[in-house]
Amino acid sequence: MAPIPGSGLAKGLAVTLRTMTRKSVTKQYPDTQPDLPPRTRGVIGLFEENCTVCMLCARECPDWCIYIDSHKETIPAATPGGRERSRNVLDRFAIDFSLCMYCGICIEVCPFDALFWSPEFEYAETDIRDLTHERDKLREWMWTVPAPPALDPAAEEPKEIAAARKTAEKLAAAQAEAKEGEE
Amino acid sequence: MNDALDVTLRLLVVFVVFLTFPLLIGQTEHKVMAHMQGRLGPMYAGGFHGWAQLVADGVKFAQKEDVVPAGADRRIFQLAPAVALLPYLLVLLAIPIGPEEGAVGEVIDAGVFFVLAVMGVGVLGALMAGWASANKFSLLGGLRTAAQLLAYELPMLLAAASVAMAAGTVSLPGILNAFEWWWLPWQIVGAIVFFVAGLAELQRPPFDMPVADSEIIFGAYTEYTGLRFALFLLAEYAGIVVLCGLTTVLFLGGWHGPWGADGLGWVWTLLKTAVLAFIVIWLRVTYPRLREDQLQKLSWTLLVPLALAQIALTGIVKVVIE
Amino acid sequence: MTLAALAADTHGFLSPTGVEIAFLLVGLVTLGAALITVTTRQLVHAALWLVVALGGLAVEYLLLTAEFIAWVQVLIYVGSVVVLLLFGLMLTRAPIGRSPDADSGNRWVALGVAVVAAAALVWVVVDAFRTTWIDLDGAPSGSTDVTGQALFQNWVLPFEALSVLLLAALVGAIVLSRKAKADAAPATGGPADRGPGAAGADKEGAR
Repeated sequence: MAPIPGSGLAKGLAVTLRTMTRKSVTKQYPDTQPDLPPRTRGVIGLFEENCTVCMLCARECPDWCIYIDSHKETIPAATPGGRERSRNVLDRFAIDFSLCMYCGICIEVCPFDALFWSPEFEYAETDIRDLTHERDKLREWMWTVPAPPALDPAAEEPKEIAAARKTAEKLAAAQAEAKEGEE
Repeated sequence: MNDALDVTLRLLVVFVVFLTFPLLIGQTEHKVMAHMQGRLGPMYAGGFHGWAQLVADGVKFAQKEDVVPAGADRRIFQLAPAVALLPYLLVLLAIPIGPEEGAVGEVIDAGVFFVLAVMGVGVLGALMAGWASANKFSLLGGLRTAAQLLAYELPMLLAAASVAMAAGTVSLPGILNAFEWWWLPWQIVGAIVFFVAGLAELQRPPFDMPVADSEIIFGAYTEYTGLRFALFLLAEYAGIVVLCGLTTVLFLGGWHGPWGADGLGWVWTLLKTAVLAFIVIWLRVTYPRLREDQLQKLSWTLLVPLALAQIALTGIVKVVIE
Repeated sequence: MTLAALAADTHGFLSPTGVEIAFLLVGLVTLGAALITVTTRQLVHAALWLVVALGGLAVEYLLLTAEFIAWVQVLIYVGSVVVLLLFGLMLTRAPIGRSPDADSGNRWVALGVAVVAAAALVWVVVDAFRTTWIDLDGAPSGSTDVTGQALFQNWVLPFEALSVLLLAALVGAIVLSRKAKADAAPATGGPADRGPGAAGADKEGAR
């Protein structure tokens, strides 16, 4: 059946009128904070306890906006007669957010989970030089990192949990076998 | 009452209406348009839901530098906003809002013709602006304005003539005095033709081809800044007031309403005008811009025949009931 | 009878009323605008001065109490004809500043024709009305009602003849634009083609 002439026009009018009667989606930002999803690329937080100064992030950064300084320290042997170990100690970790393009490669490459995305975004400055943030500031932002979002219902298990579960199952199976053998 | 005082008072009232109603409609447009698009619109100026946004805009416009392009025709360039704006002020004088003696700025014998004639003059302002700016986009805008005006003046006139025929008078209060409720269905086609043609004459979306900002920047007004630009905008919104008021008076029975006939007629007029203004905004939000050929086609192949059919119908009914 | 006695007797030239003075002044402005229209070397300015001249005429009609004619004058001439004129100018050539080549070689012939035409019109009008005076305080003699009565009772034949003329112009415009379309196959009927028809139809509508 051919549509009635002008029904499209009426439909258009209906859409706009319906939208008007509904609540608008605008968030009044400075008055109310937006609820951003976890993993929002707001700023990069540094969990410096995890950092081993491997320099992978600084080397992979396309903008070269990560500055890292460190020195080596020698730790006396833990056990008497043992070997002395040397350890990297972080002196400076800074990210220049005027250069950063928020690609997230540094976070992807960090093998020790020391870098995280935080939804925090209110760190504008009036001077471009003030956008280079040092480790204390980056560490503070770590507190704003939310828990990772829940996995999809049908998603694969996280690797760590899968491994732990397998070990636990193996152990349980071994115990059960041992019990059976006793009986 | 003293005659001179009376005239001054009327002129003053019309002037105040002329300055405030367009702002009201502009503010309504800000808010209605925003909510139709799922937004909030201005919220800060003035404190409560941004009621003073347009006042703030006016202050901003007044502060801006008044630039006249070097290659422009100076005098015509500066004169154009006044030519665009003043006709609407004159038209407002002739629109009656109530049945009482003093409810109209000035009773004009050939009111319908006065109103349409003066509204047609307003477009000269856009033409002058388009030509005098020494800018190709402005010239294109002016050309489109002229083409649009030529196409839509005719159906508008024909539709108005139909009402004048029905009432047997061309005076606006006269038409309202002759109004009966069954004129609504009788003249509905004419009303739609008049309203649509009026929208096109005001260059309101979806008929905003002459100022299509994505194609020719802002048409004839491209080179304008500051107060002169604000005057053009004011002219557009004053045009909405005038068009809605005229449609109310000619086709919707002005001060006539189901109840409250004595003393409250002006409320009906204002109410109907406001509803029509809302429809103007609604149409703007809903429909995309018409292309030039669609514009011309709509007028010449749809509105003009419809208006002529309405005149024929009016004539037949008029003869039959006499 | 002396001139002064005539003036004292009825209406005269020596004791003009306010309306008469206004009529005269507007007439001068109209004449001046008309002169500038034909003498200015800026094309668009000429069109705009034409607006002033036509508007001045409308004011004169108003002062003669012919309200209906005045508004129709504005509607048709200022609102449509001048817009059409400006449209045509902008579409073809409308430089800002002087156009020295926009001058006609036969200006003296034109002047002669204009003077003859003006003389004929003035003679006809003076001969027809002589010393008729409009009574401003009585019933309006130029209102829509009176104009309509006169037009459709005494002057129906010329009126209809004029409308047939306009219809012929309308049909002619359509025929011309059709022919142009047939000649140049892909040519589209732009708004310019419809221009003459629009003006003609406007006049028909304004009745």
